[in-house]
Amino acid sequence: MHLDFGLIAANNGWAMAIAGAIIVILGLTTLSFIISQLHKIIALFEQKQITPEPATPACCTDHGEADIDFLNDLDASARLYQVLSDDLGNSFDIAKLYQRSHRDQLPHPHITIRALRETGYLIPQGDGRFSWKND
Amino acid sequence: MDLVLEFFKNTGFALADWRYLIMIAVGILFCYLSIAKQYEPLLLLPIGFGVIIGNIPFFQGFGLGIYEENSVLHYLYFGVKTGIYPSIVFLGLGAMTDFSSMLARPKLMLLGAAAQMGIYFTLLSALALGFAPNEAASVAIIGGADGPTSIFLTAKLAPDLIGPVAIAAYSYMALIPIIQPPIMRLLTTKKERLIHMPETSREVSRKELLFFPIVGVLLCCFLAPASIPLLGPFFFGNLMKVSGVVDRLAKTASSAVIDTATIFLGFTVGASTQADVFITPKALGIFFLGSIAFSIATASGLLFAKFMNLFLKEKINPLLGAAGVSAVPGSAREVHLVAQKEDPSNYLLMHAMACNASGVIGSAICAGILWSFMAR
Repeated sequence: MHLDFGLIAANNGWAMAIAGAIIVILGLTTLSFIISQLHKIIALFEQKQITPEPATPACCTDHGEADIDFLNDLDASARLYQVLSDDLGNSFDIAKLYQRSHRDQLPHPHITIRALRETGYLIPQGDGRFSWKND
Repeated sequence: MDLVLEFFKNTGFALADWRYLIMIAVGILFCYLSIAKQYEPLLLLPIGFGVIIGNIPFFQGFGLGIYEENSVLHYLYFGVKTGIYPSIVFLGLGAMTDFSSMLARPKLMLLGAAAQMGIYFTLLSALALGFAPNEAASVAIIGGADGPTSIFLTAKLAPDLIGPVAIAAYSYMALIPIIQPPIMRLLTTKKERLIHMPETSREVSRKELLFFPIVGVLLCCFLAPASIPLLGPFFFGNLMKVSGVVDRLAKTASSAVIDTATIFLGFTVGASTQADVFITPKALGIFFLGSIAFSIATASGLLFAKFMNLFLKEKINPLLGAAGVSAVPGSAREVHLVAQKEDPSNYLLMHAMACNASGVIGSAICAGILWSFMAR
Protein backbone atom coordinates (compact mmCIF):
# COMPACT_ATOMS: atom_id res chain seq x y z
CA MET A 1 0.00 0.00 0.00
CA HIS A 2 1.27 3.45 -0.84
CA LEU A 3 -0.16 6.92 -0.46
CA ASP A 4 -1.54 8.47 -3.63
CA PHE A 5 -2.96 11.91 -2.89
CA GLY A 6 -4.36 12.08 -6.40
CA LEU A 7 -6.94 9.49 -5.34
CA ILE A 8 -8.33 11.90 -2.74
CA ALA A 9 -9.14 14.51 -5.35
CA ALA A 10 -10.33 11.87 -7.81
CA ASN A 11 -12.89 10.66 -5.27
CA ASN A 12 -13.96 14.15 -4.19
CA GLY A 13 -12.33 13.45 -0.84
CA TRP A 14 -11.19 16.98 -0.01
CA ALA A 15 -14.70 18.37 -0.50
CA MET A 16 -16.28 15.57 1.57
CA ALA A 17 -13.81 15.97 4.43
CA ILE A 18 -14.01 19.76 4.60
CA ALA A 19 -17.79 19.90 4.18
CA GLY A 20 -18.32 17.07 6.68
CA ALA A 21 -16.09 18.70 9.29
CA ILE A 22 -17.78 22.08 8.89
CA ILE A 23 -21.28 20.57 9.08
CA VAL A 24 -20.62 18.64 12.29
CA ILE A 25 -18.91 21.60 13.96
CA LEU A 26 -21.69 23.98 12.93
CA GLY A 27 -24.33 21.50 14.04
CA LEU A 28 -22.89 20.94 17.49
CA THR A 29 -22.06 24.64 17.91
CA THR A 30 -25.68 25.50 17.15
CA LEU A 31 -26.92 22.82 19.55
CA SER A 32 -24.48 24.08 22.18
CA PHE A 33 -25.76 27.65 21.71
CA ILE A 34 -29.39 26.54 21.92
CA ILE A 35 -28.89 24.57 25.10
CA SER A 36 -26.94 27.44 26.63
CA GLN A 37 -30.04 29.60 26.08
CA LEU A 38 -32.59 26.90 26.87
CA HIS A 39 -32.93 27.74 30.55
CA LYS A 40 -33.41 31.42 29.70
CA ILE A 41 -36.12 30.61 27.15
CA ILE A 42 -37.86 28.33 29.64
CA ALA A 43 -37.67 31.02 32.31
CA LEU A 44 -39.20 33.51 29.88
CA PHE A 45 -42.16 31.21 29.19
CA GLU A 46 -42.60 30.50 32.87
CA GLN A 47 -42.80 34.22 33.63
CA LYS A 48 -45.49 34.65 30.99
CA GLN A 49 -47.46 31.77 32.37
CA ILE A 50 -47.72 33.22 35.88
CA THR A 51 -51.41 33.98 36.19
CA PRO A 52 -52.26 37.46 37.40
CA GLU A 53 -53.88 37.80 40.83
CA PRO A 54 -57.63 37.43 40.32
CA ALA A 55 -59.45 40.71 40.76
CA THR A 56 -61.40 40.74 43.96
CA PRO A 57 -65.07 40.49 43.03
CA ALA A 58 -67.14 43.52 43.75
CA CYS A 59 -69.60 41.46 45.76
CA CYS A 60 -66.90 40.30 48.15
CA THR A 61 -65.33 43.68 48.64
CA ASP A 62 -68.66 45.33 49.19
CA HIS A 63 -69.83 42.78 51.67
CA GLY A 64 -66.66 42.14 53.59
CA GLU A 65 -66.21 38.54 52.43
CA ALA A 66 -63.01 38.12 54.42
CA ASP A 67 -64.87 38.69 57.63
CA ILE A 68 -67.61 36.11 56.99
CA ASP A 69 -67.55 32.73 58.67
CA PHE A 70 -69.31 30.96 55.81
CA LEU A 71 -70.27 27.76 57.62
CA ASN A 72 -71.34 29.17 60.96
CA ASP A 73 -72.81 32.53 60.02
CA LEU A 74 -75.45 31.43 57.53
CA ASP A 75 -77.25 34.80 57.61
CA ALA A 76 -74.13 36.52 56.32
CA SER A 77 -73.54 33.74 53.77
CA ALA A 78 -77.10 34.04 52.51
CA ARG A 79 -76.73 37.81 52.07
CA LEU A 80 -73.53 37.33 50.08
CA TYR A 81 -74.99 34.60 47.89
CA GLN A 82 -78.12 36.68 47.26
CA VAL A 83 -75.91 39.40 45.83
CA LEU A 84 -74.36 36.82 43.53
CA SER A 85 -77.77 35.79 42.22
CA ASP A 86 -79.25 39.31 42.03
CA ASP A 87 -79.56 39.40 38.26
CA LEU A 88 -80.76 35.78 37.94
CA GLY A 89 -84.31 36.59 38.85
CA ASN A 90 -86.50 35.29 41.69
CA SER A 91 -86.20 31.71 40.58
CA PHE A 92 -82.75 30.67 39.36
CA ASP A 93 -80.80 27.62 38.32
CA ILE A 94 -78.72 26.39 41.30
CA ALA A 95 -75.92 25.40 38.90
CA LYS A 96 -75.48 29.11 38.03
CA LEU A 97 -75.06 29.93 41.68
CA TYR A 98 -72.36 27.28 41.94
CA GLN A 99 -70.62 28.71 38.85
CA ARG A 100 -70.62 32.24 40.24
CA SER A 101 -69.37 31.15 43.64
CA HIS A 102 -66.52 29.29 41.92
CA ARG A 103 -65.78 32.27 39.69
CA ASP A 104 -65.47 34.56 42.68
CA GLN A 105 -63.45 31.94 44.56
CA LEU A 106 -65.69 31.87 47.60
CA PRO A 107 -64.59 29.28 50.14
CA HIS A 108 -66.46 25.96 50.38
CA PRO A 109 -69.30 26.84 47.95
CA HIS A 110 -70.73 23.31 47.85
CA ILE A 111 -70.95 22.97 51.65
CA THR A 112 -72.28 26.49 52.03
CA ILE A 113 -74.99 26.10 49.38
CA ARG A 114 -76.01 22.74 50.81
CA ALA A 115 -76.25 24.34 54.27
CA LEU A 116 -78.35 27.18 52.83
CA ARG A 117 -80.70 24.60 51.28
CA GLU A 118 -80.94 22.49 54.40
CA THR A 119 -81.67 25.45 56.63
CA GLY A 120 -84.37 26.79 54.33
CA TYR A 121 -82.60 29.90 53.03
CA LEU A 122 -82.81 28.40 49.55
CA ILE A 123 -86.25 27.04 48.63
CA PRO A 124 -86.56 24.44 45.88
CA GLN A 125 -88.90 25.34 43.00
CA GLY A 126 -88.47 22.10 41.05
CA ASP A 127 -86.34 21.25 38.00
CA GLY A 128 -83.15 22.33 39.75
CA ARG A 129 -84.39 25.86 40.29
CA PHE A 130 -84.38 27.68 43.64
CA SER A 131 -85.50 30.95 45.15
CA TRP A 132 -84.47 32.81 48.28
CA LYS A 133 -86.58 32.81 51.45
CA ASN A 134 -88.68 36.00 51.42
CA ASP A 135 -87.65 37.61 54.72
CA MET B 1 -13.15 -47.57 8.90
CA ASP B 2 -13.97 -45.47 5.83
CA LEU B 3 -16.78 -43.87 7.77
CA VAL B 4 -14.42 -42.90 10.57
CA LEU B 5 -11.86 -41.52 8.12
CA GLU B 6 -14.54 -39.57 6.29
CA PHE B 7 -15.78 -38.20 9.58
CA PHE B 8 -12.25 -37.17 10.57
CA LYS B 9 -11.79 -35.33 7.26
CA ASN B 10 -14.80 -33.20 8.16
CA THR B 11 -13.69 -32.33 11.69
CA GLY B 12 -12.20 -29.02 12.62
CA PHE B 13 -8.85 -30.70 13.31
CA ALA B 14 -8.49 -31.75 9.69
CA LEU B 15 -9.86 -28.54 8.20
CA ALA B 16 -7.93 -26.05 10.35
CA ASP B 17 -5.09 -24.00 8.94
CA TRP B 18 -2.84 -21.36 10.51
CA ARG B 19 -5.28 -18.52 9.82
CA TYR B 20 -8.01 -20.12 11.93
CA LEU B 21 -5.58 -20.80 14.73
CA ILE B 22 -4.43 -17.17 14.73
CA MET B 23 -8.00 -15.95 14.91
CA ILE B 24 -8.85 -18.39 17.70
CA ALA B 25 -5.81 -17.09 19.57
CA VAL B 26 -7.12 -13.54 19.04
CA GLY B 27 -10.49 -14.62 20.43
CA ILE B 28 -8.88 -16.14 23.48
CA LEU B 29 -6.80 -12.96 23.93
CA PHE B 30 -9.99 -10.86 23.86
CA CYS B 31 -11.60 -13.12 26.46
CA TYR B 32 -8.46 -12.87 28.59
CA LEU B 33 -8.35 -9.06 28.33
CA SER B 34 -12.00 -8.76 29.24
CA ILE B 35 -11.87 -11.14 32.20
CA ALA B 36 -8.38 -10.59 33.63
CA LYS B 37 -7.80 -6.94 32.73
CA GLN B 38 -11.47 -5.94 32.57
CA TYR B 39 -10.91 -3.99 29.33
CA GLU B 40 -14.43 -3.20 28.08
CA PRO B 41 -15.67 -6.64 29.26
CA LEU B 42 -19.26 -6.05 28.16
CA LEU B 43 -18.07 -5.91 24.57
CA LEU B 44 -14.82 -7.82 24.43
CA LEU B 45 -16.17 -10.96 26.04
CA PRO B 46 -19.02 -11.55 23.55
CA ILE B 47 -16.76 -10.53 20.67
CA GLY B 48 -13.89 -12.72 21.86
CA PHE B 49 -16.09 -15.76 22.25
CA GLY B 50 -17.74 -14.97 18.92
CA VAL B 51 -14.30 -14.92 17.28
CA ILE B 52 -13.58 -18.37 18.70
CA ILE B 53 -16.93 -19.74 17.51
CA GLY B 54 -16.64 -18.11 14.10
CA ASN B 55 -13.23 -19.63 13.48
CA ILE B 56 -13.94 -23.23 14.19
CA PRO B 57 -13.40 -24.77 10.75
CA PHE B 58 -16.32 -26.63 9.23
CA PHE B 59 -17.23 -28.03 5.85
CA GLN B 60 -19.19 -25.62 3.70
CA GLY B 61 -22.77 -26.17 2.65
CA PHE B 62 -24.06 -27.54 5.93
CA GLY B 63 -25.63 -24.25 7.02
CA LEU B 64 -23.26 -23.64 9.91
CA GLY B 65 -21.23 -20.52 9.15
CA ILE B 66 -22.34 -16.97 9.63
CA TYR B 67 -22.05 -16.31 5.90
CA GLU B 68 -24.12 -19.37 4.96
CA GLU B 69 -27.79 -18.75 4.43
CA ASN B 70 -30.17 -20.57 6.76
CA SER B 71 -27.60 -20.91 9.51
CA VAL B 72 -28.59 -19.78 13.00
CA LEU B 73 -25.62 -17.41 13.12
CA HIS B 74 -26.66 -15.94 9.79
CA TYR B 75 -30.08 -15.08 11.18
CA LEU B 76 -28.58 -13.54 14.30
CA TYR B 77 -26.18 -11.59 12.07
CA PHE B 78 -29.18 -10.07 10.30
CA GLY B 79 -29.43 -7.52 13.11
CA VAL B 80 -25.90 -6.36 12.39
CA LYS B 81 -26.20 -6.26 8.60
CA THR B 82 -29.40 -4.23 8.71
CA GLY B 83 -28.26 -1.89 11.46
CA ILE B 84 -30.98 -3.07 13.88
CA TYR B 85 -28.67 -3.87 16.80
CA PRO B 86 -26.84 -0.51 16.69
CA SER B 87 -30.19 1.31 16.74
CA ILE B 88 -31.34 -0.72 19.74
CA VAL B 89 -28.04 -0.10 21.51
CA PHE B 90 -28.50 3.62 20.93
CA LEU B 91 -31.98 3.42 22.44
CA GLY B 92 -30.50 1.92 25.58
CA LEU B 93 -27.61 4.37 25.60
CA GLY B 94 -30.07 7.26 25.48
CA ALA B 95 -31.99 5.79 28.39
CA MET B 96 -28.73 5.53 30.35
CA THR B 97 -27.27 8.94 29.52
CA ASP B 98 -27.54 11.83 31.92
CA PHE B 99 -27.21 15.04 29.93
CA SER B 100 -27.38 17.36 32.93
CA SER B 101 -23.59 17.71 33.02
CA MET B 102 -23.53 18.72 29.36
CA LEU B 103 -26.51 21.04 29.69
CA ALA B 104 -24.81 22.80 32.57
CA ARG B 105 -21.61 23.28 30.55
CA PRO B 106 -22.66 23.71 26.92
CA LYS B 107 -19.32 25.08 25.73
CA LEU B 108 -17.74 21.68 26.39
CA MET B 109 -19.91 20.34 23.57
CA LEU B 110 -17.49 21.94 21.13
CA LEU B 111 -14.81 19.49 22.21
CA GLY B 112 -17.09 16.65 21.15
CA ALA B 113 -17.30 18.27 17.72
CA ALA B 114 -13.55 18.84 17.47
CA ALA B 115 -12.75 15.23 18.29
CA GLN B 116 -14.63 14.16 15.17
CA MET B 117 -11.85 15.58 13.02
CA GLY B 118 -10.11 12.23 13.29
CA ILE B 119 -12.89 10.80 11.14
CA TYR B 120 -12.28 13.18 8.26
CA PHE B 121 -8.50 12.93 8.47
CA THR B 122 -8.82 9.15 8.23
CA LEU B 123 -11.25 9.47 5.34
CA LEU B 124 -8.53 11.29 3.40
CA SER B 125 -5.85 8.80 4.44
CA ALA B 126 -7.98 5.80 3.45
CA LEU B 127 -8.77 7.34 0.07
CA ALA B 128 -5.07 8.03 -0.49
CA LEU B 129 -4.29 4.41 0.40
CA GLY B 130 -6.60 3.21 -2.36
CA PHE B 131 -9.77 2.33 -0.45
CA ALA B 132 -12.99 2.90 -2.38
CA PRO B 133 -14.94 5.93 -1.06
CA ASN B 134 -17.61 3.85 0.70
CA GLU B 135 -14.91 1.67 2.32
CA ALA B 136 -12.89 4.75 3.27
CA ALA B 137 -15.94 6.24 5.01
CA SER B 138 -16.50 2.99 6.92
CA VAL B 139 -12.89 2.92 8.06
CA ALA B 140 -12.91 6.62 8.91
CA ILE B 141 -15.84 6.30 11.30
CA ILE B 142 -13.60 4.23 13.61
CA GLY B 143 -12.21 7.65 14.59
CA GLY B 144 -15.51 8.37 16.29
CA ALA B 145 -14.59 5.63 18.77
CA ASP B 146 -18.16 4.44 18.79
CA GLY B 147 -18.66 0.74 18.08
CA PRO B 148 -22.38 0.73 17.22
CA THR B 149 -21.97 3.78 14.96
CA SER B 150 -19.04 2.15 13.15
CA ILE B 151 -21.00 -1.05 12.65
CA PHE B 152 -24.08 0.81 11.51
CA LEU B 153 -22.28 2.87 8.88
CA THR B 154 -20.21 -0.06 7.65
CA ALA B 155 -23.33 -2.21 7.35
CA LYS B 156 -24.81 0.45 5.11
CA LEU B 157 -21.72 1.29 3.04
CA ALA B 158 -19.35 -1.67 3.01
CA PRO B 159 -20.96 -4.76 4.59
CA ASP B 160 -17.95 -6.92 3.73
CA LEU B 161 -15.83 -4.88 6.13
CA ILE B 162 -18.08 -5.13 9.19
CA GLY B 163 -15.82 -7.67 10.89
CA PRO B 164 -12.52 -5.78 10.65
CA VAL B 165 -14.10 -2.37 11.27
CA ALA B 166 -16.03 -3.57 14.33
CA ILE B 167 -13.07 -5.42 15.77
CA ALA B 168 -10.80 -2.41 15.19
CA ALA B 169 -13.33 0.00 16.74
CA TYR B 170 -13.95 -2.12 19.83
CA SER B 171 -10.28 -3.01 20.21
CA TYR B 172 -9.22 0.61 20.26
CA MET B 173 -12.04 1.46 22.65
CA ALA B 174 -10.77 -1.28 24.94
CA LEU B 175 -7.23 0.02 24.58
CA ILE B 176 -8.08 3.58 25.60
CA PRO B 177 -5.98 3.31 28.79
CA ILE B 178 -2.98 2.50 26.59
CA ILE B 179 -3.57 4.74 23.56
CA GLN B 180 -4.88 8.01 25.02
CA PRO B 181 -2.65 8.90 28.00
CA PRO B 182 0.61 9.23 26.00
CA ILE B 183 -1.12 11.51 23.49
CA MET B 184 -2.58 13.57 26.34
CA ARG B 185 0.83 14.01 27.93
CA LEU B 186 2.50 14.74 24.62
CA LEU B 187 0.13 17.53 23.65
CA THR B 188 -0.38 19.25 27.01
CA THR B 189 1.97 20.91 29.48
CA LYS B 190 1.97 20.04 33.17
CA LYS B 191 0.57 23.48 33.90
CA GLU B 192 -2.35 22.84 31.58
CA ARG B 193 -3.05 19.45 33.11
CA LEU B 194 -3.26 21.09 36.53
CA ILE B 195 -6.07 23.43 35.52
CA HIS B 196 -9.06 22.95 37.81
CA MET B 197 -12.52 23.27 36.39
CA PRO B 198 -15.18 25.09 38.45
CA GLU B 199 -16.77 22.51 40.72
CA THR B 200 -20.12 24.15 41.03
CA SER B 201 -22.32 24.51 38.03
CA ARG B 202 -25.80 25.75 37.37
CA GLU B 203 -28.52 23.37 38.43
CA VAL B 204 -30.29 21.98 35.38
CA SER B 205 -34.07 22.06 35.63
CA ARG B 206 -36.34 19.16 34.74
CA LYS B 207 -37.85 21.21 31.94
CA GLU B 208 -34.42 21.65 30.33
CA LEU B 209 -33.83 17.92 30.52
CA LEU B 210 -37.23 17.37 28.91
CA PHE B 211 -36.70 19.90 26.14
CA PHE B 212 -33.19 18.76 25.25
CA PRO B 213 -34.06 15.42 23.56
CA ILE B 214 -36.72 17.18 21.49
CA VAL B 215 -34.46 20.04 20.48
CA GLY B 216 -31.53 17.68 19.97
CA VAL B 217 -33.34 15.21 17.73
CA LEU B 218 -34.91 17.97 15.66
CA LEU B 219 -31.70 19.87 15.11
CA CYS B 220 -29.40 16.89 14.54
CA CYS B 221 -31.79 14.93 12.35
CA PHE B 222 -32.84 17.93 10.29
CA LEU B 223 -29.13 18.57 9.73
CA ALA B 224 -28.22 14.97 8.91
CA PRO B 225 -31.39 12.93 8.33
CA ALA B 226 -29.30 9.82 7.71
CA SER B 227 -28.48 9.81 11.41
CA ILE B 228 -32.15 9.23 12.33
CA PRO B 229 -31.70 5.45 12.88
CA LEU B 230 -29.10 6.21 15.56
CA LEU B 231 -30.08 9.56 17.04
CA GLY B 232 -33.83 8.93 16.87
CA PRO B 233 -33.73 6.00 19.31
CA PHE B 234 -30.99 7.72 21.30
CA PHE B 235 -32.98 10.84 22.08
CA PHE B 236 -36.19 8.80 22.48
CA GLY B 237 -34.47 6.65 25.10
CA ASN B 238 -33.35 9.79 26.88
CA LEU B 239 -36.82 11.32 26.79
CA MET B 240 -38.24 8.15 28.35
CA LYS B 241 -35.65 8.44 31.11
CA VAL B 242 -36.16 12.10 31.94
CA SER B 243 -39.93 12.17 31.49
CA GLY B 244 -40.40 10.07 34.61
CA VAL B 245 -43.76 8.79 33.35
CA VAL B 246 -42.51 5.60 31.72
CA ASP B 247 -39.97 4.42 34.24
CA ARG B 248 -40.66 0.79 33.38
CA LEU B 249 -39.87 1.34 29.71
CA ALA B 250 -36.79 3.43 30.43
CA LYS B 251 -35.52 0.81 32.87
CA THR B 252 -36.09 -1.98 30.35
CA ALA B 253 -34.41 -0.04 27.54
CA SER B 254 -31.38 0.68 29.70
CA SER B 255 -31.04 -2.88 30.95
CA ALA B 256 -32.67 -5.88 29.24
CA VAL B 257 -33.04 -4.34 25.80
CA ILE B 258 -29.53 -2.91 25.45
CA ASP B 259 -28.00 -5.97 27.08
CA THR B 260 -29.73 -8.34 24.65
CA ALA B 261 -28.67 -6.26 21.66
CA THR B 262 -25.11 -6.01 22.98
CA ILE B 263 -24.85 -9.76 23.45
CA PHE B 264 -25.99 -10.55 19.90
CA LEU B 265 -24.08 -7.64 18.41
CA GLY B 266 -20.80 -8.60 20.04
CA PHE B 267 -21.21 -12.32 19.50
CA THR B 268 -22.14 -12.15 15.82
CA VAL B 269 -19.57 -9.47 15.00
CA GLY B 270 -16.98 -11.73 16.60
CA ALA B 271 -18.27 -14.71 14.65
CA SER B 272 -18.10 -12.71 11.42
CA THR B 273 -14.30 -12.65 11.63
CA GLN B 274 -13.96 -15.98 9.87
CA ALA B 275 -10.27 -16.32 9.04
CA ASP B 276 -10.76 -16.85 5.31
CA VAL B 277 -12.61 -13.52 4.97
CA PHE B 278 -10.88 -11.66 7.79
CA ILE B 279 -7.13 -12.16 7.42
CA THR B 280 -6.53 -10.02 4.36
CA PRO B 281 -4.21 -7.07 3.59
CA LYS B 282 -7.28 -4.84 3.62
CA ALA B 283 -8.10 -5.84 7.19
CA LEU B 284 -4.56 -5.01 8.25
CA GLY B 285 -4.93 -1.63 6.54
CA ILE B 286 -8.17 -1.06 8.47
CA PHE B 287 -6.45 -1.81 11.77
CA PHE B 288 -3.62 0.56 10.92
CA LEU B 289 -5.96 3.34 9.83
CA GLY B 290 -8.21 2.73 12.84
CA SER B 291 -5.36 3.41 15.22
CA ILE B 292 -4.50 6.59 13.27
CA ALA B 293 -8.15 7.66 13.36
CA PHE B 294 -8.42 7.14 17.10
CA SER B 295 -5.16 8.97 17.81
CA ILE B 296 -6.02 11.92 15.57
CA ALA B 297 -9.47 12.16 17.18
CA THR B 298 -7.88 12.35 20.62
CA ALA B 299 -5.29 14.86 19.44
CA SER B 300 -7.78 17.12 17.68
CA GLY B 301 -9.94 17.31 20.81
CA LEU B 302 -6.91 18.24 22.92
CA LEU B 303 -5.65 20.83 20.45
CA PHE B 304 -9.09 22.39 20.06
CA ALA B 305 -9.35 22.77 23.84
CA LYS B 306 -6.01 24.59 23.79
CA PHE B 307 -7.30 26.75 20.94
CA MET B 308 -10.44 27.61 22.93
CA ASN B 309 -8.25 28.65 25.85
CA LEU B 310 -6.78 31.42 23.68
CA PHE B 311 -10.15 33.16 23.84
CA LEU B 312 -11.59 32.07 27.17
CA LYS B 313 -11.21 34.07 30.37
CA GLU B 314 -11.83 31.00 32.48
CA LYS B 315 -9.47 28.41 31.00
CA ILE B 316 -10.58 24.85 30.50
CA ASN B 317 -8.37 21.86 31.17
CA PRO B 318 -7.28 20.73 27.67
CA LEU B 319 -7.29 17.10 28.79
CA LEU B 320 -11.07 17.30 28.43
CA GLY B 321 -10.60 17.41 24.67
CA ALA B 322 -9.55 13.76 24.74
CA ALA B 323 -12.99 12.87 26.12
CA GLY B 324 -14.59 14.32 23.00
CA VAL B 325 -14.34 10.90 21.37
CA SER B 326 -17.51 9.01 22.06
CA ALA B 327 -16.06 6.05 23.93
CA VAL B 328 -18.42 6.32 26.92
CA PRO B 329 -17.32 6.32 29.69
CA GLY B 330 -13.81 4.98 29.01
CA SER B 331 -12.27 8.16 27.66
CA ALA B 332 -13.91 10.34 30.34
CA ARG B 333 -12.52 8.03 33.02
CA GLU B 334 -9.06 8.17 31.45
CA VAL B 335 -9.07 11.98 31.33
CA HIS B 336 -10.05 12.03 35.00
CA LEU B 337 -7.29 9.58 35.92
CA VAL B 338 -4.57 11.47 34.01
CA ALA B 339 -5.62 14.72 35.72
CA GLN B 340 -5.64 13.00 39.10
CA LYS B 341 -2.14 11.69 38.59
CA GLU B 342 -0.94 15.28 38.31
CA ASP B 343 -3.12 16.57 41.13
CA PRO B 344 -5.25 14.18 43.20
CA SER B 345 -7.61 17.02 44.09
CA ASN B 346 -8.51 17.68 40.46
CA TYR B 347 -11.87 16.11 39.61
CA LEU B 348 -12.66 16.22 35.91
CA LEU B 349 -15.04 13.28 35.58
CA MET B 350 -18.30 15.21 35.30
CA HIS B 351 -16.82 17.69 32.84
CA ALA B 352 -15.34 14.86 30.80
CA MET B 353 -18.73 13.12 30.71
CA ALA B 354 -20.18 16.28 29.15
CA CYS B 355 -17.61 16.04 26.33
CA ASN B 356 -18.27 12.30 26.02
CA ALA B 357 -22.01 12.78 25.61
CA SER B 358 -21.38 15.40 22.97
CA GLY B 359 -18.98 13.01 21.23
CA VAL B 360 -21.71 10.36 20.96
CA ILE B 361 -24.01 12.86 19.23
CA GLY B 362 -21.14 14.14 17.07
CA SER B 363 -20.05 10.73 15.79
CA ALA B 364 -23.65 9.76 14.96
CA ILE B 365 -24.04 13.01 12.99
CA CYS B 366 -20.78 12.23 11.18
CA ALA B 367 -22.09 8.78 10.28
CA GLY B 368 -25.21 10.41 8.86
CA ILE B 369 -23.15 12.93 6.91
CA LEU B 370 -20.85 10.27 5.44
CA TRP B 371 -23.78 8.05 4.51
CA SER B 372 -25.46 10.98 2.76
CA PHE B 373 -22.25 11.84 0.89
CA MET B 374 -21.80 8.27 -0.31
CA ALA B 375 -25.42 7.91 -1.34
CA ARG B 376 -25.01 10.73 -3.87
